[in-house]
Amino acid sequence: MSVAHCGDFRQSYRDDMKVLETRFVRVSVGAFLVLLYIFPLLASNYLTSTMTTIGIAVIGALGINIVTGYTGQISLGQGAFMGVGAFACSYFMRIAHLPFWIAMPLAGLATAAVGMVFGLPSARLKGLYLAIATLAAQFILQYLFIHMDAVTGGSNGIQFPPPEIGSFVFDGDRSKYYLTITVAISAVLFTTNLMRSRDGRAFIAVRDHHLSAEIMGVHLFKYRLLSFSVSAFYAGIAGSLWGVYTGYISAEHFTLTESINYLAMIIIGGLGSVLGSIFGAVFMTLLPQFLTVGTGALAQIFPKIGFLIMSLKDGVFGIIVILFLIFEPDGLAHRWRLIKAYWKLYPFSY
Amino acid sequence: MRRLTPFLALAIMAAMAGPVIGQEIVIGNLADITGGTGDVGKPYAEGIKAYTDYINANGGINGKKIKLLQQDYAYKIPEALSLYKKFKDQDKVLAIQGWGSGDTEALKEQVAKDQMPYWSASYSAHLTDPAKSPYNFFCAPDYSTGLRAGLKYLKDNWKEKRKPKVAFIYPDVGYGKAPIPAGKKYAAELGFDIVGEENVDLKAIEATTQLLNLKKADPDFAWIGGTKVSTSVILKDAKKLGLKTKFFGNIWSADEAMPKLAAGAEEGYLVVIGAALYGDKVPGMKAIEKVTNNQPQVSHWIRGWVSMMTMCEVLKTADKHKELTGPGIRKYAEQLKNFDTQGLTAPITYTPTDHRPFMSVILAEFQGGKMVKKATIELPRKPEWIGF
Repeated sequence: MSVAHCGDFRQSYRDDMKVLETRFVRVSVGAFLVLLYIFPLLASNYLTSTMTTIGIAVIGALGINIVTGYTGQISLGQGAFMGVGAFACSYFMRIAHLPFWIAMPLAGLATAAVGMVFGLPSARLKGLYLAIATLAAQFILQYLFIHMDAVTGGSNGIQFPPPEIGSFVFDGDRSKYYLTITVAISAVLFTTNLMRSRDGRAFIAVRDHHLSAEIMGVHLFKYRLLSFSVSAFYAGIAGSLWGVYTGYISAEHFTLTESINYLAMIIIGGLGSVLGSIFGAVFMTLLPQFLTVGTGALAQIFPKIGFLIMSLKDGVFGIIVILFLIFEPDGLAHRWRLIKAYWKLYPFSY
Repeated sequence: MRRLTPFLALAIMAAMAGPVIGQEIVIGNLADITGGTGDVGKPYAEGIKAYTDYINANGGINGKKIKLLQQDYAYKIPEALSLYKKFKDQDKVLAIQGWGSGDTEALKEQVAKDQMPYWSASYSAHLTDPAKSPYNFFCAPDYSTGLRAGLKYLKDNWKEKRKPKVAFIYPDVGYGKAPIPAGKKYAAELGFDIVGEENVDLKAIEATTQLLNLKKADPDFAWIGGTKVSTSVILKDAKKLGLKTKFFGNIWSADEAMPKLAAGAEEGYLVVIGAALYGDKVPGMKAIEKVTNNQPQVSHWIRGWVSMMTMCEVLKTADKHKELTGPGIRKYAEQLKNFDTQGLTAPITYTPTDHRPFMSVILAEFQGGKMVKKATIELPRKPEWIGF
């Protein structure tokens, strides 16, 4: 039945390993997945492509949540790592003539290697000091994007060839959506399972108390580095998909703003939570779009002060984010848990 | 929880837009009001808006009104991409007035695929080659042509026996780098010695290092390919360091507000301008003066006005032939021959093989805090310069 036990009554390892515990949850998640896959058939191309950007953001946010949310290492380089993935993927496809399906994982691995290099300072640094060290990654990589003309096209940017299967080319909004959403779902599944593995628990131990973790036999440096590289791998995949989405990549996109955007996603969504990464990605993608479209529409209604209304956008965005942090400091994922708890006992809450 | 539900609901209701109404022509405008180039983007967008209001009040497009959807994308490429999709799929716009280099480049392939006519404020020369960007248009001298004209003017006025020395200062972004290869090649052809090349960022707050390098090379002339803030920084630092170089620069590198920013260091700075200056005695200025109540506007404003004016002219022809579609607009745009912008710019011509609007470049110089027109340089329409 769809009733969860009021306590821990699991009797087998199989029970213990279930992600979706009750039938109700299984059915609703299944329905949600079906809805995701029929979404483009129901919605306009614009909404479909908005969902594609959300899918990309989910992957990137999961990545940074692994290193920052789960392992407790602040990373300010996610935007640049996405750039590494995008440029690497495009390079593998154009120069080595690899199909996208090989180039994307390779780009992920290349980004993971780069992430590992910039994760090295985590051996000695933590907290704000590490954050500044990863900030260096952002600037160094941005410099390379502009100056490694052969790979990145320099400041002009470079084309990103569309993926192909046989004669089918992924260049429409729908096909890009299906590609992105499939990868995003796999990323969510993989992350959920990673966090239930020995390595995932080690990440959390490193975050919660690194001394205790070390005493328990967790190799601190190894796991910090691993977490940086896994996180960068996600960024690389997200970057490759970003390339597919735009068809053109340039250094102008992979800036510090983008990195901070990702950090904001997981703070708003919920640190150390898969669901939080998803919520944060959805929120941080939709809110600016909603504000842009909303202020644009308002400007249409009040043409005299149209430009003034449009200028309010960033301020409103800032205020909403601040309000969120004040009233929702544990992130949207926490709020989601409260909502669930509320309905679980409805109407006889105590 | 209940208090927050509206927020979530708002976030989910991402977008809504009404359907297109019969006798309206919907045009999208991707503008930068609040972003990195908002200082020049806002007047440009205001110019576009002003012309739209003006034509709607004066008969519209053969009686049809234009509905202009202006959206601020804050100079962010992802926002531009998603707004473009919204324009195309939800608002069903017929054509777009765009803005910056990064986003115009990023959308270049897409607009070609979607057959979406796109007038930009990025005047990068490689948007002028219809073989590569068939749906991109603009209404100003492209960056390379501007630079060539500046070089030609300086060479024509060069009195000394020795070869003149020239250097290039530009930000290391697509916009800054675009005309440099063309400029170097043409400078060499004209007999300049190229003595230096420096990068000054668009957001630079000082340029001493770069200018000290230049001081050693001692160029007679130096090109500035930035925007007005970085230009003012360069000019002020050059004055401080005592450089004797004469600076000349790109269309976006200065406007009427320069004397305030550079505080006198702009004296003698030569700048490419793409359109008439406010108050010029040309027929087209009357309408502008009327709609602005004689409040002076910067030259970017006037270029926005002209860009919309040109687009409307094409729309009128396409409408007359009942071909108000993307390909139709392109077809009639490419038949535009010597379109008279009432003296606001040189006559505009696009052909199926050449999207350069015109080859004449106006150069102005700052004298006593004012922009004074110095010369109009007419360059030949060389086919090998298309897209370069």
